[in-house]
Amino acid sequence: MKKNGPILTTISFLTYIFIYAPIVMVVVYSFNLAKYGAGWTGFTTKWYAALFRNEMALEAAKNTLILACSSTLVATTLGTLLGVGLSRYNFPGKRLFSWLMYIPLVIPDILMAVSLLLFYGLIRQWLGLFELGMSTMIVSHVTFEIPFVAIVVRARMIGLNPSIEEAAADLGANTWKTFWYVTFPLILPGVLSGALLAFTMSLDDFVVSFFTTGPGATTLPILIYSSVKRGITPDINALSSLMILASIVLTVLVQIFGRKEQERGSKIT
Amino acid sequence: MKKLSLFFLSLLICAVASAETNKLNLFIWSEYIDPEIISNFEKKFDCKVITDLYEDSESMLAKIEGGGVSLYDIAVPPDYIVSVMIKKKLLAALNMSNIPNAINVDDKFVNPSYDPGNAYSMPYQWGTVGIYARKKAGQTIDESWGILFDPKMNAGSFVMIDSMRESIDSALKYKGYSINTTEPAKLKEARDLLLDAKKRTLGFESGVGGKNKVLGKGATFAVAYSGDAVRGMSEDPETYYFVPREGSEIWVDNMVIPAKAPHKEMAEKFINYILDPEVGAKLSDFNQYATPNKASLLLIDQDDRKNPAIYPSKEVMAKLEFVQDLGSHTRIFDQVWTEVKTK
Amino acid sequence: MSAETIKKRRDLILSSLTSGPGIVWVCLFLLVPLISVMAISFLTRGEYGDIEWTFTFDNYKRFFGYGIFGFDPLYPIIIVRSFILAAGTAALCVLAALPLAFFISFLPPRYKGIALTLVIIPFWTNLLIRTYAWQILLAPGSILSNLVHFIGIVPEDVPALPSAGAVYAGMVCDFLPYMVLPLYTSIEKIDWKIAEAAMDLGGNGRRVFRHAVLPQIMPGLVAGIILVFIPALGQYVIPDLLGGAKTVMLGNAIGQQFGASRDWPFGSAIAFFAMGIVMMGLWLYARVARKHGEEALL
Repeated sequence: MKKNGPILTTISFLTYIFIYAPIVMVVVYSFNLAKYGAGWTGFTTKWYAALFRNEMALEAAKNTLILACSSTLVATTLGTLLGVGLSRYNFPGKRLFSWLMYIPLVIPDILMAVSLLLFYGLIRQWLGLFELGMSTMIVSHVTFEIPFVAIVVRARMIGLNPSIEEAAADLGANTWKTFWYVTFPLILPGVLSGALLAFTMSLDDFVVSFFTTGPGATTLPILIYSSVKRGITPDINALSSLMILASIVLTVLVQIFGRKEQERGSKIT
Repeated sequence: MKKLSLFFLSLLICAVASAETNKLNLFIWSEYIDPEIISNFEKKFDCKVITDLYEDSESMLAKIEGGGVSLYDIAVPPDYIVSVMIKKKLLAALNMSNIPNAINVDDKFVNPSYDPGNAYSMPYQWGTVGIYARKKAGQTIDESWGILFDPKMNAGSFVMIDSMRESIDSALKYKGYSINTTEPAKLKEARDLLLDAKKRTLGFESGVGGKNKVLGKGATFAVAYSGDAVRGMSEDPETYYFVPREGSEIWVDNMVIPAKAPHKEMAEKFINYILDPEVGAKLSDFNQYATPNKASLLLIDQDDRKNPAIYPSKEVMAKLEFVQDLGSHTRIFDQVWTEVKTK
Repeated sequence: MSAETIKKRRDLILSSLTSGPGIVWVCLFLLVPLISVMAISFLTRGEYGDIEWTFTFDNYKRFFGYGIFGFDPLYPIIIVRSFILAAGTAALCVLAALPLAFFISFLPPRYKGIALTLVIIPFWTNLLIRTYAWQILLAPGSILSNLVHFIGIVPEDVPALPSAGAVYAGMVCDFLPYMVLPLYTSIEKIDWKIAEAAMDLGGNGRRVFRHAVLPQIMPGLVAGIILVFIPALGQYVIPDLLGGAKTVMLGNAIGQQFGASRDWPFGSAIAFFAMGIVMMGLWLYARVARKHGEEALL
């Protein structure tokens, strides 16, 4: 019963091919000689070389990294604290708020994008703040990243063996010392997982960035979208392939951390 | 500790210094300005130009209204949008003493009805809307909007343009109506024509997107702007551009400065720079649109001057209409367009 | 002071220090904007696209069909179309994910991690890139496009792209991992002894699956369906790129109003309606997740 029959295996392999087809296509066509159209005319790496001379692409890459790094930093800090707090301490309305935190998991991007656009617009009218640009994008990204970090950290906190912290307390450590020297190192892999998750989400975002961006704050996804709208060309495929590579590296890292952390957890308990 | 504070101090100085560097936030149509013109401008005025692109006028207006009024220094709207922006107080009045090259503007474009006295705008390029097509061996096509709207014509696959006025106007022209009509009955007819065409079209694309689709052989016809089409023609001689016999739109794009632009003086320098005879000629040679600059007209590639796709003949000009801002009646156009896009 | 009150006070202080900043942020930048959307939906659009502070139900009337040109079920049609797309996507995802999830679960332990990672990798790749790739896959003259025409799914003179079929392909491709992961977690927790007992009692394969296995993976199935259905309902990019801007869904309609159409109040009305559906789905999901551990999908 628990072995894979031939039918199941075939179907599964076909499914894998299905989900990888788009990615493979993009990478393959980034080497296409022809500038327009879907016909294959030859192999070349010139589009990748052209990317490094393309000012708009470089600028967008820079913006994307700044956005991802800053938002991840803020989101991880706030999210970790939130995760710790939710797992340990009670406060009125905690149940309601936990429920609220799930919103970014299921909410369609467009709703988040549009509500933020509206919100920034209203604040701008009354207070003159929140001009659209890098700062509004960072704020937007932090907002959808925090819940993810918090959920991951909270899960790790719950999984911790409380006797370790109790031991630390017995030895005379106060709350802060216990947290910083005992708890935090234990949940660190979880925190890092959350951070990598947040970073990846930032890189992947398009809709929210698209609606809350301003001049000089164009990110790679926004650049790719505008270019695709004008017609897919191999240099866009080259750019996309590089982004795909980055995502793959990050995903593998997250998986490695996740597994290391599981081993750590099981060793201690 | 000393090293650290020195480090931060130098960072601060760098930050301040970079803030001092002049900047210009340009908001313009894609493939519309020669990158060399931008780099020449940057060198001449020691300025960094940041370019953001758009694909249709309504999205540009939406972005300006949604906060862009204090972010961008230059935008390039078409004539009728300029009137809208003036009415909505989205534009800053031009300080003409900073734009001496204004005298180069051809008389036809001076003191236009959409901006009396050129108080807020200076013309950039002008052109037409038409159909960009791929030649089919041994076939003569009836050069009509029927390619889109007449199901019996079946001339080939076509792409419609993702721009409100352009699309609705083509339907109105096909029916022989003015593109500036406000009669709901006529607009309803246009809507129905468009919805019917939508069933047979390959989709809605931006002007440049449609042009590229024809170039890439993904479609036979696309509604396109004259300059984009002419550039396509030079890349692929198997393609051509025409203004349908029922008539079409003629438009003038203009440089404007949003009301709260952060670098107004630099923006005026930019406008003045574009109006320079040689720069204007270089611009038109690049984007293959028609220049409103009488001095540049003498300097452009003379083959372009004789190209009827760029500078239409008198007969074609007689069938072209300028788009006008219709004030509160724009609401009906908006509704028609929303229905066309959403059904 | 009782020990209870001391603990409560301590909890409150520590809560504000830890959860406090995060809560404030999320409330300010998630809750308040969503509330403003609700508020703006009752205002009017000015002549040229700004917001006028006049209270009106017009936006909702228009949304439910009573616009300028008389009764026109334009938006109800969009709602129905979006629901069908989301439901169809969820159904197709279930069909595709079930075999895959069982397959991974039945693998020897050392391969499970890799198999899962292989599913997750595309998941964390930019959706935009994966979606526009379908434009290449289904371009006229491509292998897939020819295949589709040959089999007859699409008539000869109709291009494979843009089309509803292309949108479905893109949607399923994107949402599949959302379904596989929760399903996998549930399958891992199956108590196979129950199934074995059912077989011993003489049940055939199908009955055993329906009555002994299926109920056990229900939580994963439900979580997966919600995780696919709700975001699918508000998809923007996929219908935009693969539907040729012809197939307008709820997400596109909202984006349109906040973009070129410049009717923020009306857009807010559509968005608020979509939000209501999201909230319902959210409530369902929270119930399921709280019972079975939400990190299932992360």
